[in-house]
Amino acid sequence: METTATIVRPRLRVVGGVCAGVAGHLGAPVAVVRTIAVLLALCGGAGVLLYAWLWATTPVTDAPVDPRMRASLTTPAAGAAAASGSAVDSSRTEHLRRAPVTEILLGLALIGAGGALVVNSLGVEVPLAVVIPAIVVLAGVALAWRQFADLRAGTAASAPTLVVRSLGALVLVATGILLFFVTGETPNVWTVVVAAVSVLLGVGLVALPWVVRLTRDLGEERAARERANERAEIAAHLHDSVLQTLALIQQKAGPRSEAARLARAQERELRDWLFDTAPADDRDLASELRRLADVIEHDHPVRFELVTVGASVPAPESLLAAGREAMLNAARHAGGDVSIFVEVGPERIDLIVTDRGPGMSLDAIPADRLGVRESIIGRLARAGGSAVIGPGRGGSGTEVRLSLPVAVVTAAERGTDHP
Amino acid sequence: MTQLRIAIVDDHSIFRSGLRAELDAALEVVGEAATVDEAIVLVEATRPRVVLLDVHLPGGHGGGGAEVIQRSAGASPETRFLALSVSDAADDVVRVIRAGARGYITKSSSGAEVSEAARRVAEGDAVFSPRLAGFVLDAFGAAAGETAATHDELDRLSQREQEVMRLIARGYSYREVAGELFISVKTVETHVSSVLRKLQLSNRHELTAWALERKLL
Repeated sequence: METTATIVRPRLRVVGGVCAGVAGHLGAPVAVVRTIAVLLALCGGAGVLLYAWLWATTPVTDAPVDPRMRASLTTPAAGAAAASGSAVDSSRTEHLRRAPVTEILLGLALIGAGGALVVNSLGVEVPLAVVIPAIVVLAGVALAWRQFADLRAGTAASAPTLVVRSLGALVLVATGILLFFVTGETPNVWTVVVAAVSVLLGVGLVALPWVVRLTRDLGEERAARERANERAEIAAHLHDSVLQTLALIQQKAGPRSEAARLARAQERELRDWLFDTAPADDRDLASELRRLADVIEHDHPVRFELVTVGASVPAPESLLAAGREAMLNAARHAGGDVSIFVEVGPERIDLIVTDRGPGMSLDAIPADRLGVRESIIGRLARAGGSAVIGPGRGGSGTEVRLSLPVAVVTAAERGTDHP
Repeated sequence: MTQLRIAIVDDHSIFRSGLRAELDAALEVVGEAATVDEAIVLVEATRPRVVLLDVHLPGGHGGGGAEVIQRSAGASPETRFLALSVSDAADDVVRVIRAGARGYITKSSSGAEVSEAARRVAEGDAVFSPRLAGFVLDAFGAAAGETAATHDELDRLSQREQEVMRLIARGYSYREVAGELFISVKTVETHVSSVLRKLQLSNRHELTAWALERKLL
């Protein structure tokens, strides 16, 4: 059995997860630990105190719930519910993780109050001097715990309000403890001293676990901040050294070389990792083209210079497919630097792919080769646009001009929105 | 032929030495600097014709390349700046251009391209990368069909300027632009310089918004 370095309580638990945590730490079977705990509890409540102390001072594990453990701990019905959906699943785990201390304590207080009233009305002499303070103390502890939980989670009302409420609950606890002594026999010096000490001890006991947890949370937060800082430093360092070197390799190797292709692929991966540049709008024409360019750059010694002008529009299928074909042609037959220029105007979208390759003439392509004719010109014509293939800048290379009226795009959009 | 005196300002020594080795023989590198403060001292001491300037630089008041341009302007007014960047993000570029750089190219450009751009900047012309040209078209509303009515309008591009910018955005060299539009290379240069001036001086909100964001105004 694998042991844990410190005692951590699992999220899924029977009572507080203390026994499972201790068992995990010592490498002993849980059943043995539980038995010892029960035996200790019978020794004048020592086990209960130990349990409470461990529960208050040990952290809860970060690890996700082990499904096998869940299966062993949940009843068949709950198991089915857990299997039926992850939402149900997580809410259940959440429910199990947080013991309803407040509700239990308030329940005890109410039962105590109710029981006292019933017994009293039956004519039995009830020691109200003991029962009333006990109820007050229970209620105070319960309310204090609720406020502490909120304070720790940083939820609900503002922090100052919560502090005031927590103090109020603690005052209630103190009042309850005092009542034990006030309602008793006539006060003397000793009762006053004992009362004062009791109040301090009581309030301290209630607040202690919370203080312990708060300090631990602070420590964890600091550790998380340090990790984030470290990551930022690594990112800055990588940006400064590796990205620059990759740029230099590309500069020296020339766009057509294998070395440049590898350097570019690495640069892109590193950038994506460093800056998390996942495009927000996936169907945007520019980001779709960028993605296509990345894929093609990965397989061919080519560098696409993508420039987009105008508003961001969803990518029209026909334009994207024809553009992809033009880019692939440029990558296969020309390579090197290929320019992609996209302009989204008020009336039409232009996509121009220009390469510096050997050039291509439509007449030279056999009629039976479907590639260019069908996949670029035909496809766009069917969509209502046009495609022109001709010589590139200065009469060299190839230029593919694709054009699609905006009216066609918006009509298609409407068609997909309301089928 | 007199050599063109240039300085390289970049905080990465690997990149500096790599670029230095790639530049052609007509360019004489008079010095290198790695931070904003070093760069300002270097420019003042050597008075190079052109400074190849990284957009992101440590030191100074955190202003990077733009700060070097602004603080060197008094000491060496005849020095021209050509911005280099790996990022290619429009706001980085616009920041140095509005600070006074005469052009911008990406760091993956070849040694020959950088040399050519440095020569062009030294002659008083502007250098636009395709990405920057695309950005200019966007920022001046050219894609939406906005065209300047008069010659001296700062907030919009003329028809001809738009045509030139479109071709540069498609990767055309100045010579190729000239051939395509049946004008001389000199005229192309004039158009590009005019666009650069508009980019530096325009109060179009797309441009001033950045300047405000970057606390340049």
